[in-house]
Amino acid sequence: MADVAPSAGLIAQIRLVAGLRWRLLRNSMRKKNNRLDLIGLIFAGIFGGILVIGLCFAFYAGAYQFLSNNRPGWIALLFWGIFLFWQSIPLFVAGFGANFEFRTLLRFPMSLSAFYIIGLAYGLADFSAMASLCWLLSMTAGATVAKPGVLPAMLLIGAAFVLFNVTLERLVGSWLERLLSRRRTRELFLGLFVLSMISLNFITPLLNRYGAAARPSFLRLLPYFAWLPPSLAGRAIASAAQLQPAGFLLGSAGLLLYVLALTLLLRRRFSAQYRGEELSETAAPVRPAVRPIAAKDDGPDRLGLLSPQVAAVLRKEFRYLTRNGFTFLTLLLPPMLVFIFSMNFTGGHPTWGKGVSADFFFPGMMAYLILILMAPAYNSFAYEGRGIQTYFTAPLRFRDVFLGKNIMLVIVLALEMALSLSMLAWRVGLPSLHMLVATVAAMVFTIIGQLTVANWSSLSFPRKLEFGQMRGQRQSGMAVLVAFGSQILLGGVSAVILFSGRWTGNLWLPAEAFALLAAAAVGGYIASLDPLTELAEKKKEALIEALCR
Amino acid sequence: MPDVAIQTYKLTRTFGNLTAVDDVDLQVAAGQFFGFLGPNGAGKSTTIKMLTGLLAPTSGSMQLLGLDFVPNSVEVKRQIGVVPEGMGLFERLTGAEYLNFVGRMYGLDRATTRHRSEELLEFMQLADRPKTMIADYSHGMQKKLALAAAVIHGPRILFLDEPFEGVDALAAGTLKALLGRMTERGTTIFLTSHVLEIVERLCSHVAIIHQGRLVAQGSLEELRAGISGEEGSKTTLEQIFLSIVGQSGAERPQLEELSWLT
Repeated sequence: MADVAPSAGLIAQIRLVAGLRWRLLRNSMRKKNNRLDLIGLIFAGIFGGILVIGLCFAFYAGAYQFLSNNRPGWIALLFWGIFLFWQSIPLFVAGFGANFEFRTLLRFPMSLSAFYIIGLAYGLADFSAMASLCWLLSMTAGATVAKPGVLPAMLLIGAAFVLFNVTLERLVGSWLERLLSRRRTRELFLGLFVLSMISLNFITPLLNRYGAAARPSFLRLLPYFAWLPPSLAGRAIASAAQLQPAGFLLGSAGLLLYVLALTLLLRRRFSAQYRGEELSETAAPVRPAVRPIAAKDDGPDRLGLLSPQVAAVLRKEFRYLTRNGFTFLTLLLPPMLVFIFSMNFTGGHPTWGKGVSADFFFPGMMAYLILILMAPAYNSFAYEGRGIQTYFTAPLRFRDVFLGKNIMLVIVLALEMALSLSMLAWRVGLPSLHMLVATVAAMVFTIIGQLTVANWSSLSFPRKLEFGQMRGQRQSGMAVLVAFGSQILLGGVSAVILFSGRWTGNLWLPAEAFALLAAAAVGGYIASLDPLTELAEKKKEALIEALCR
Repeated sequence: MPDVAIQTYKLTRTFGNLTAVDDVDLQVAAGQFFGFLGPNGAGKSTTIKMLTGLLAPTSGSMQLLGLDFVPNSVEVKRQIGVVPEGMGLFERLTGAEYLNFVGRMYGLDRATTRHRSEELLEFMQLADRPKTMIADYSHGMQKKLALAAAVIHGPRILFLDEPFEGVDALAAGTLKALLGRMTERGTTIFLTSHVLEIVERLCSHVAIIHQGRLVAQGSLEELRAGISGEEGSKTTLEQIFLSIVGQSGAERPQLEELSWLT
């Protein structure tokens, strides 16, 4: 029988996991297509370094000032700063995609205690944890220089605070991992995340309107914050600085109680993982259910005007749109943005004095919305995945695929514009007739004009994107550049033409010019479909390779 | 109907300096169940991709059902079905939606597409999950759906790239039942697989590709006849395969080097 090797010790295992993390990072940078990642990482490293070192000085100075100026209670603010940074940054960095699965380590011979300790050590290797450790050390140094007697208390409370933060971060991470392992939950979270980011725009208007009224309620809540861990840590240090053992004991005991409670919870989570928690999404076998009666829908095809292939692509695009939580939520953006901007502008713009004019606001908002909504068209095969092969094995010309996709986009744009126009009419008022007609014709010109370029870009610079993920979801740099360039060009031309009405005194001139340009854009689009079909044939290998990865 | 379903002439495909498929002359008669074998990286998938229009040949030509592929690609594609490597599914559709989509892409009318989709889902035992997206299907369910999509338009040639890879015995049984029914009706099936027992059981004719070159082609009996000695007639496909592409003694890993394993 083969000799069985003894298990590696705990220290050796921690060292191996640290080495694994480093090699994963290093190897990911060695890929040829990750040069931009490397540049991004270098820049992030420089800026991160400046941030950490700069704040080290700030934490040192803060701790020194608070203790030497006899305001030790304020040191809790520094603990709150570290706490918020440590706990919030991993949530943003984690994104909603697959990370290195810590649980995969369980296939190796490892006790539950070793798994737990490695899990905590793994948490300490994060950027947020390392930066926070640097700041805590700076605080300790600042406090010690101000009052040398506080050093033992700082070391004890600092250690407990680190343990509290790393345990909480791992606990939240572990729960998130469980929640996000399900595709639908992941997409829901992503949607909520996007919405919460958008809703940040509401903060300033809301504060302006309700800030003063909310202030007393907020002040009433403040005392309860004293029982949270950063405040308890601050109280313990403040009491130690003022030689009040009772306050120190109360603060440190409270903090340690939090550590104990979180340790128990984390141990429970890790035990579940250790026992082999199932997170798989694969459909489990089910007992055959009663078959639903299929809807008889063999009546006339509502898309009968289109060829079967174009209609099939259009239907598929609609289904993909409704099942892509992220994209679907971005459709809420245009009316929301009109609402947000109108909240800021109506009631008196600093420059225009009497509030914004609808003749300015309407074309400006429409241009902004086109900018947002057209961006995905420059990589329109991003979500096809392996399905892209079907377009090349099926008996069709690629122009049908473009037509199906473009018709869907135009329908969505038309609906969005109609919604935004309704919101605009409610919030700001309708623009004058000549401006309305000119803007609508300009939209036809810029949208159809961009579609031709976007189709070419989609074939030339494809990049696969995954549903419901944020990590590594990036368009091709060239596609972004092409989108940016064509939007600037078409936007610039449109702006000049729009204002030409004012300069020449002929208010209907822009509408006439845009009508001509829109007709030319439609002609150009139709003429481009066959050359693009030939291009698709030439580019099919690159396209399939990029999307089937 | 032409006697020859698939014919290639000096079919070649290079990737930079690498010649993945090198001067392959292949002939598959109509109605044959044809196995296309080779070790990993031999050029099987590259050949099947060229035959199905997913990859352009560097040189050479190919005829399917008597039609030159390149100038008649749409007409040829109308008559072939494909289960490509990775299956090519749109994972955000349900099984029924995907079959409806594919049927329409092949030009079937709505009623026929719907009718055939329901029958195929029933046959493949996928009808119990009408609202489940393909992304949530198991691997075996995805394979069955990919095969259903490949046959929905009643192709005259069916290309299958590793259809049994990662499929359990139950799903494999369903796939084999469908393939058997299709060969009975005269469909030509072109299949690549690493599972030689399945190929031996299903296929009447076999070709072996090695390092991009076609090294053997014919019926199983013809290949057996090529093996010297009295045991030739009892030779299994695995033995034939190893005798043609197997490594020499010098190249084979030396087991004695792993003595600590025993």
